[in-house]
Amino acid sequence: MAKRNPRRKECPSRAGEKVAVAERLATLTSQMDKLYEFDRMPVSAEKLQSGGKFAGLFAGEHVAATEFVIGAFFVLHGVGARDLFLGLFFGNLLAVLSWTFICAPIAVRTRLTLYWYLRKIAGPGVTFIYNIANAFLYCILAGAMISVSATAIGLAFGIKVPALEAILPNSVGWVVLTFAIGAAFTILAVLGFEKLSLFAEVCSPWIFIVFIAGAVAMLTRLGVHPNLDNLWEVAKMKIWNGVAVSGQEKLGMAHVLFFAWFCNLAMHVGLSDMALFRYAKKWSYGLFTAFGVYPGHLLAWICSGVMVAAIGREMDPGRMAFEAAGLAGTFGLLLAGWTTANPTLYRAGLALQTVTPNWPRWKITLVAGAATTVVSCFPVFFLKLLDYVAIYGLVLMPIGAIVFAEHWIFPLLRIEQYTAEKRGWSFNWSALIAWLGTLVICFSLPLHLYFRWLPGWFIAIASYTVLMASRRREGRR
Amino acid sequence: MKTWIRAMLSLLSLAMCLVAPALFFAGKISERSYRLAFLLTSIAWFIFATLWMAAARRNKG
Repeated sequence: MAKRNPRRKECPSRAGEKVAVAERLATLTSQMDKLYEFDRMPVSAEKLQSGGKFAGLFAGEHVAATEFVIGAFFVLHGVGARDLFLGLFFGNLLAVLSWTFICAPIAVRTRLTLYWYLRKIAGPGVTFIYNIANAFLYCILAGAMISVSATAIGLAFGIKVPALEAILPNSVGWVVLTFAIGAAFTILAVLGFEKLSLFAEVCSPWIFIVFIAGAVAMLTRLGVHPNLDNLWEVAKMKIWNGVAVSGQEKLGMAHVLFFAWFCNLAMHVGLSDMALFRYAKKWSYGLFTAFGVYPGHLLAWICSGVMVAAIGREMDPGRMAFEAAGLAGTFGLLLAGWTTANPTLYRAGLALQTVTPNWPRWKITLVAGAATTVVSCFPVFFLKLLDYVAIYGLVLMPIGAIVFAEHWIFPLLRIEQYTAEKRGWSFNWSALIAWLGTLVICFSLPLHLYFRWLPGWFIAIASYTVLMASRRREGRR
Repeated sequence: MKTWIRAMLSLLSLAMCLVAPALFFAGKISERSYRLAFLLTSIAWFIFATLWMAAARRNKG
């Protein structure tokens, strides 16, 4: 491989270009830093929050519009009743343990957000790329939420939900509908996140009740007796009967377990919840995430499974919600979509603001909203939501692994920590190579998509550690 | 209205949201009545909970 001679003279035009690129990167870095300036300093002791606050925070965090789709998809994918319950119980347990033993300890020790900690480790250039990747993925997620909400309104106008295998919109009506809802959500996001956060707080417990109420009401339609003596029988034979609908892949317990584990991968193993846990008094507060995942990713998924079985196994969240809880159910679905798309749009805007110097918040939220609205027209993102959630976690997971390696493994192996910060690197190439290399390997692994992230996490840790260790040796020579 | 009264009323309306489907499942009310009751108790929740949370925020700030 050809090596560059550092002493070789650059031609003036190339040198000029390099200076311009460096200046541009410096400008972007300083703008990006300004955005996150408010949380630059480690959290001080008087700002630490109690365990009760964390329990409350997580309790309302994991009930979104997508829960209507995820639980229903397990039914369509032919998951058996026993597999579902065991998979969800243990998968969510692993997710809680990942928050507790991977994310929270690093957050409590550093008291920093992932943004600032990654900046020390990988340099502002890699942090910038991470931000953009995050913004892109957030837009798709918010788009899927808009699509789900569109099914609620579409019911009133007789607009058919696209078929399970659809990629493109199935009608002009669907496009108009998603555009209208996307525009409404974007306008609300532009008007201000703070003002609307009170309403979102009010919605959160009620949306969870919509799931429970809808499922209880639908049990009658499935033939469950009021004394519940045939509940397990109905669950096994009529809801999670182990038969996938036509065209859907059959999933088993391992798939459900891994899905429940990785569905918040970017937050726990990917460490983005360092932003929350830096306020925790103890790392053990990670256990409080159980208050969020068990209602949201176990009960709500079970409830949506019951609802989809009661409407004849058809993926139409709007019809599901209406048949289960009437007009209130339709509003529940709409509000679930909005309350989760709204902060997602806000986060996407915040991440995108790094590339749009001096743009006000409303303008960048508008751009993020417009992109999200376009995404929401394509039903593939909500109809392939399970795969998208897997990809979303997989793409961001290696960054968490890199931070984990630098934080815990480097001191053990006596590898210098925070080299990027100490030497003023814009790009820690080892981090970027480890990130991208892990993704290339993960996407070529002969495993089901749901299982790829786990070997990927170890690959990212090993490759980053080896690359940084070899740099140390080169430095010594 | 005092904050604790608003809190009690909102929690009561949320509980009533659960009573409606339970009564329908037990065969005590019709589907139509369940849907109406669920809608009304949901509206009650939104009114009382908004008042409660706004008051709680004011007290904090």
